[in-house]
Amino acid sequence: MTYNLGISRIDELVGDIKGGTNIMMIGPPMCGKDDITNIIAYNGLINKNAAVIVSTREPGKNVLDWFESRDLSIPPEHIGIVDCVTRTLGFGAPDTENIKMASSPVDLTGIGVKISQFFERFWMEMQVKETRLCINSLSTILMYSNLQTVFRFLHVFTGRIKAANALGVYVIEDGMHDEKTIVTLKQLFDGMIEIREGDDGYQIRAIGLSPKPTPWFDYEIDGVNIVLRG
Amino acid sequence: MIIETGIPALDDHLHGGVPQGKSLVYYAYPGVECNVFGMQTVHRAISEGGRGIYVTSSTDPRMIRDLFKEFGWDAAEYGDRFVIVDGFSGLVGADSPEQYVVSNPDDAGSLTQAIKQVMEDAREPSVIVFESLSTIMDLCGESATLDAIEEWNRYAMLYDHVVVYNFTAWPYSEDTLAHVKGDIFNSVVSIGGITEKVIFGQYFGVRKIDWDEVTKKCILFKVLKPGGVRVYLPKILVTGPFDAGKSTFVHALSTRAVSVDRLGTTVALDHGHVDHRGFAADIFGTPGQERFDPIVKLLSGEAMGIFLILDSTNTADFVRAKHMLEITESMGLPVVIVANKQDLEGALTPEEIRRGLDMAHDAPVMPVVATSREGVFEAFDVLVDRVMEAGSI
Repeated sequence: MTYNLGISRIDELVGDIKGGTNIMMIGPPMCGKDDITNIIAYNGLINKNAAVIVSTREPGKNVLDWFESRDLSIPPEHIGIVDCVTRTLGFGAPDTENIKMASSPVDLTGIGVKISQFFERFWMEMQVKETRLCINSLSTILMYSNLQTVFRFLHVFTGRIKAANALGVYVIEDGMHDEKTIVTLKQLFDGMIEIREGDDGYQIRAIGLSPKPTPWFDYEIDGVNIVLRG
Repeated sequence: MIIETGIPALDDHLHGGVPQGKSLVYYAYPGVECNVFGMQTVHRAISEGGRGIYVTSSTDPRMIRDLFKEFGWDAAEYGDRFVIVDGFSGLVGADSPEQYVVSNPDDAGSLTQAIKQVMEDAREPSVIVFESLSTIMDLCGESATLDAIEEWNRYAMLYDHVVVYNFTAWPYSEDTLAHVKGDIFNSVVSIGGITEKVIFGQYFGVRKIDWDEVTKKCILFKVLKPGGVRVYLPKILVTGPFDAGKSTFVHALSTRAVSVDRLGTTVALDHGHVDHRGFAADIFGTPGQERFDPIVKLLSGEAMGIFLILDSTNTADFVRAKHMLEITESMGLPVVIVANKQDLEGALTPEEIRRGLDMAHDAPVMPVVATSREGVFEAFDVLVDRVMEAGSI
């Protein structure tokens, strides 16, 4: 079981990413991490993968709209969103086919249960074995919990990603956490997607997914494509 | 006085429920549903006329009543017999609508102050449910939380309250987990997941009680909305000779059912879902004609119990009925014989059927009229009891 990210030149350089890989995506605010995360999920969906997206910053409906507004040909039943926002806004929305509600970003038990439920549905009911888990973002969870708590949570779920031969992508805001936090969390991941501010916009590269880090590429987001330059 | 958890199979294993003044922890593995256990327990107490206190740590208190409603429990009707201790709003800097508020949720002392206050104010012995002990442990630290639990439990004992904790066993220190599983609670109910690559089934079992003997059994469950925790039997087989009334029985028993049939005769299977008396079950009906016997064998794999359906007026089919039991390779599985069509003239009595089949004297033969649903749930109850007695599921 292998995966690719849907970022053309980086995919070429990195090659197939083996199932069970956990990747940290770190970048500054406003660099398009939400879009990049969704595009990685989308790239799986068009290849008949399933995607579970844990949203701690946007209501689940907005995340679903992102997919629906871009390409109606993806199988909607393959999308699972764990919404950690709506109920904190005081809305008592019930679970739907695509969106399951966690109580808040503090509710790690609930988030874990909902992730497991989606995995069970995709694996056992729909027989879709290639699944991507995107958590966007760990920074919000870290705002309400401490490092040790998040580490424990990730320790469990990165292990589950390995067991299920899935692909995990975990987003972190650069500049929001101290060095110790980043170093501690890095231990749990097999590779990183790094984003930085360049002279002419933002740049992206992958580390740890191939013997050498890829070069930095300038990029632009165009719909469901990440267009690399350089 | 004993407080029931609201989950009948669990109450059986707790020897009726939790005695007043005692504590219980629902000890769940990550990714397995746990909070609903505590919610069902507090709902049960209140619906029996008692008083419930719910300590929230990771949910906005405004959402709590909605969460109960999702399971079909209308917390608005609880009135002042339901009290929320808000240990969440302080965490996100929000105002709280509740009377009892934990000013500093990441300080065990602040939590203890609120807990003691609500215990003292309760006018009668109550059920106190902690929504998420693990969240408290994450916020306050493992050691401080363990100390606080001992204090809360002592205080609860003083006022005859029952304290129930939902706990997710994240990889805390071995010491902490040993304490939670071992010595600080009067009873421990494990909630686990059946895992291969992913979790595909959930079970609970009593791990410890200090007021009676422990029966070590794992019981599969499902969480239904509405409904809550239901003991789950993933496969009950319904088999029997042609035209005995298997499909009618499956449909009579089920809340929803489908049949793959041709001209009214089942040619592949019937499938139905039962939700009855705290139990959920998926039932699979086989075809009855001999030419479909390979399908019968296929369908019977991993069944947990069997209904053998007979036309009570047709003794000629008894040999075929016994043969079908053999095909299902059901040796050792609980079997209930359903003596169907009891409303027809010439129907044999259950005793006559037992003799006709040469079955043991205690083999259950249940009189049923599937077309009018008469006796179908009684037959289900008997099979469920036998499955539960049979051991670990």
